[in-house]
Amino acid sequence: MYEFITGFMFWLALGVCLTGVIVRTILYFRGLQWNLDRVAYKAYPVEGFKGAIRSIYKWILPFGTHGWRKQPFMTVIFFSFHLGAVFVPLFLLAHNLFLKEKLGFSFFSINGGVADFLTWLVVVSTILIILRRIALPEVRIMTNWYDYLIILISVAPFVTGLMARYQVGDYSFWLLAHIISGEILLFAIPFTKLSHVFLFFASRAQLGMDYGIKRGGLKGTKMAW
Amino acid sequence: MFKKILFATSATEASDHAARVAFNMAGTLKAHLNLFHVLGVPTRGFSQVVFDVKTKKEVSVDDEYISWVEEEVKNYYSNQLADGVVDCSIKASVGFPHREILRQAREIEPDLIILGGTTGSDEDSVYKSSTGSTLQRVAKAAPCPILVVNRSAASFWGGLSNIVFGTDFSKASDKAFDFALKIAMSLNCELHLFHALDISSTHMGMSMSQDEIEQKIREAYRKIRFKYVSRMKDRKNYSMDVWEGIPYVEIVKYSREKHADLIVMAHNSRKLDIDGSKIGSNMEQVIMRAGCPVISVNR
Amino acid sequence: MPEGIFCNKKPIETEEALTALLGDTSGAQYYKEMKSLDVDSKLLWTTIQNTCKSRIRTWLEICAHCGMCADSCFLYLVNDRDPKQVPAYKIQSTLGEIIKRKGNVDNKFMHMAMETAWAKCTCCNRCGMYCPHGIDMGIMFGYLRGLLYQQGFVPWELKIGAGMHRVYRAQMDVSEEEFVETFQWMVEEYEEEYPGLAVPVDVENADIMYTVNAREVKHYPEDLAEAAILFHAAGENWTVPSKGWEQTSLAMFAGDWAACKMQVENVYAAMERLKPKRMVGTECGHAHRATVVEGPYWAGRKDGKPPAESIHYIEWLAEALREGKLKIDPERRIKVPVTLQDSCNYVRNHGLRETAREILSYIVEPGYYREMSPNREHNYCCGGGGGFNGIGLFRPQRNKGLITKRDQILATGAKLVIAPCHNCWDAIRDLEEEFEIGIKWSFLKPLVISMLEIPDHMKPEE
Ligand code: SF4
Ligand code: SF4
Ligand code: SF4
Repeated sequence: MYEFITGFMFWLALGVCLTGVIVRTILYFRGLQWNLDRVAYKAYPVEGFKGAIRSIYKWILPFGTHGWRKQPFMTVIFFSFHLGAVFVPLFLLAHNLFLKEKLGFSFFSINGGVADFLTWLVVVSTILIILRRIALPEVRIMTNWYDYLIILISVAPFVTGLMARYQVGDYSFWLLAHIISGEILLFAIPFTKLSHVFLFFASRAQLGMDYGIKRGGLKGTKMAW
Repeated sequence: MFKKILFATSATEASDHAARVAFNMAGTLKAHLNLFHVLGVPTRGFSQVVFDVKTKKEVSVDDEYISWVEEEVKNYYSNQLADGVVDCSIKASVGFPHREILRQAREIEPDLIILGGTTGSDEDSVYKSSTGSTLQRVAKAAPCPILVVNRSAASFWGGLSNIVFGTDFSKASDKAFDFALKIAMSLNCELHLFHALDISSTHMGMSMSQDEIEQKIREAYRKIRFKYVSRMKDRKNYSMDVWEGIPYVEIVKYSREKHADLIVMAHNSRKLDIDGSKIGSNMEQVIMRAGCPVISVNR
Repeated sequence: MPEGIFCNKKPIETEEALTALLGDTSGAQYYKEMKSLDVDSKLLWTTIQNTCKSRIRTWLEICAHCGMCADSCFLYLVNDRDPKQVPAYKIQSTLGEIIKRKGNVDNKFMHMAMETAWAKCTCCNRCGMYCPHGIDMGIMFGYLRGLLYQQGFVPWELKIGAGMHRVYRAQMDVSEEEFVETFQWMVEEYEEEYPGLAVPVDVENADIMYTVNAREVKHYPEDLAEAAILFHAAGENWTVPSKGWEQTSLAMFAGDWAACKMQVENVYAAMERLKPKRMVGTECGHAHRATVVEGPYWAGRKDGKPPAESIHYIEWLAEALREGKLKIDPERRIKVPVTLQDSCNYVRNHGLRETAREILSYIVEPGYYREMSPNREHNYCCGGGGGFNGIGLFRPQRNKGLITKRDQILATGAKLVIAPCHNCWDAIRDLEEEFEIGIKWSFLKPLVISMLEIPDHMKPEE
């Protein structure tokens, strides 16, 4: 069982995820049409590129934009969540050891205490995100079961990881659950709303190009995000 | 002397004095009278919604509505129109009043425009941004003289005997004089030439000494003689006077003294009253206060 | 009754059809017919498949339902934070739903979608700046309007408006002759005051080709005279085309893309015919957006630019003042508290955030200028954009929408609002009418003229 899910299933999940990401990214950019979107992407590649980079850069800075500054609470929980959600899976020592064994290479690893902290951060911010969803009418009205499913898929690996980490109950059960939920996450990335992990960059780049080319960029005005 | 008269009317009581004069003149002079009514300002951007100044309602304007309004105007003047003496046409349109009146004037080329009273709509906020009143704006740009009747003038065109011509010696005043003289000759009435020396401090920036005033008065008399009297040839029934004071007040006082039936003056201010102050132009003040109709000439 | 006499899927193509529709007072019958207008689901779905590509699909897919865009929408704020006014909700419940159901929606749904597209969004594109994913609901509403227009679910005034462009190539029934004649009339009216004033019609190779908004011709032609005066005072070599002079596009508000194309090609044809160095448009926001920003794409121009360099009136004015072509008498600068309405259409959507401010630095006495908050590309819509101003059916909603701008203006304490955009100007006028807060509003042209140092060649001889 363990063999199967860390072997075949792992490869499959990783393969599906990476291929999915690549294919969808390509499809995204091929689906951009200058005449339908009314943005002359091809005519101004340099301006478009600059606009795209600016648009992404400003938004991945905490409090880097008017939007973030307007909603400090959301900004804090958002960045807390994503900090952990990006760093822990990639740079946890255990993951790296696993990678080394499977792929023959690894990223640098973060210190165990930091990893714990980040993981807890993910869990706590998830709770806050859920509470926010329930508390604010403007968010509640749009929230459906699918949103909760996505949250579930994305935090499950963290929760199961913590369980395994603190050896609550049966370690091997939690480890298995952790690996399975991680693989579900990988499978889900290209096909669900989790596609935002890469489409975020695509979509931001697109609007950045729009502003960088059509909406003022050619006039030399940089969008004040 | 007038073949075609454009009467811009609100078709309400506010225009009744003007209407009496308009019908009276058209009848006496056998002139064609065009009853023109601007029914409202289009509000609402590009939509068809218009604020009807008469009914005070927002209406959706189409051809049908316009012909209904024209019918209303006709009904309002049914008494005057009944005997069929006056050759008359009716038109209603939509827009800013001054602009539509000028547009109509450009189209039918009247010899005289008679402005009826407003329904107080100049106070409405839709007009506020357009500086200057309807009167000012029409007076400024009209291609022909305009006649404004603010008070009741019993029988007008038939019984004119005293005309006051107020001058500020401008070019437009020369034109106004030509016009006043023409009327005086054709109706054979007395012409009173008048100039008011403006001594209101705002005008000069400082007050004048009595000597200065007297000298200016003498100068004004000379100008009147030179500019106007010389052109009246052998006409005897005229008088001339120069008073000092605030021009519009003096003209009104003078007209009362001379039992004027008509005041003729030039609309001379090039600039519209940008501040939209209630004082308005000299001419407007005269119109407001004078007991008789006023004709303004600008070219 | 699937297709009504007035309310149907056919655009207005002829003068007769236009008059007939206009004759339906307030669209009474039109809206009645709309109640039984069928939805052509097949057409709807094929259109979506052909035109809804990765940008919009991705936006709809990845929207995190996080509600961060809520506060950015003035209509949400002004409607007591009604969750139904959250931009993401508005678009998900309309366009999102149509796509989810593959176009299988009914008449009732389309009515709801119509109200959402035209009465709950002015396409001001502000929300797009506040969404972390860069999801621009304004763009999607524009797209949705196109779908609704195709199905015949469009407010009466906008069906007419689009029809006007199809029939007259102008937003109102102003013919080419009327345009030239009115311009000439205005020049005659003012030439005594400004000797040498003229309107050069159809001059080739001029430095400037000037285009206008048909409403100026129809209702306040003084604006034309003012433009002529300023070009004349600046000594510009300018012209107006007798054909292709209308810069606006109600078809854009209506979502009638075919009419948009016809309209804008008419202007481009004038550029190609007269070969001016530049085109300058009047003080209108959506006209600029239609002809300069979006137009090139409707006309299929790959470089996204009109045939001749095209600038907004404020760009020309700023330049003329900067270069000293127009001189201001410092004595007559504005000395009342004054604020500026940034028009979304050329500030947020075309980067002209500093241009009008430069003009104000010349014409306002220092110390009298007040910024609105927020301002520049973050400014709120005036409340009447995207066609909202003109739709009788949605008037109450529009009036409510004006409250944002009212409060912004009140907070500045300004007594004069400068609005170099026809639509904003209208909305601000209406808001004064509605709420009577004691302000005045103005375009730039009359203000600049009132403080202009008239060059010698233009002084009337006395
Ligand atoms: S801010 Fe963006 S992602 Fe969030 S709900 Fe609004 S549109 Fe969706
Ligand atoms: S485009 Fe403007 S009006 Fe429309 S939803 Fe976004 S913020 Fe609101
Ligand atoms: S009318 Fe003016 S403020 Fe309103 S959306 Fe249009 S450009 Fe923006």
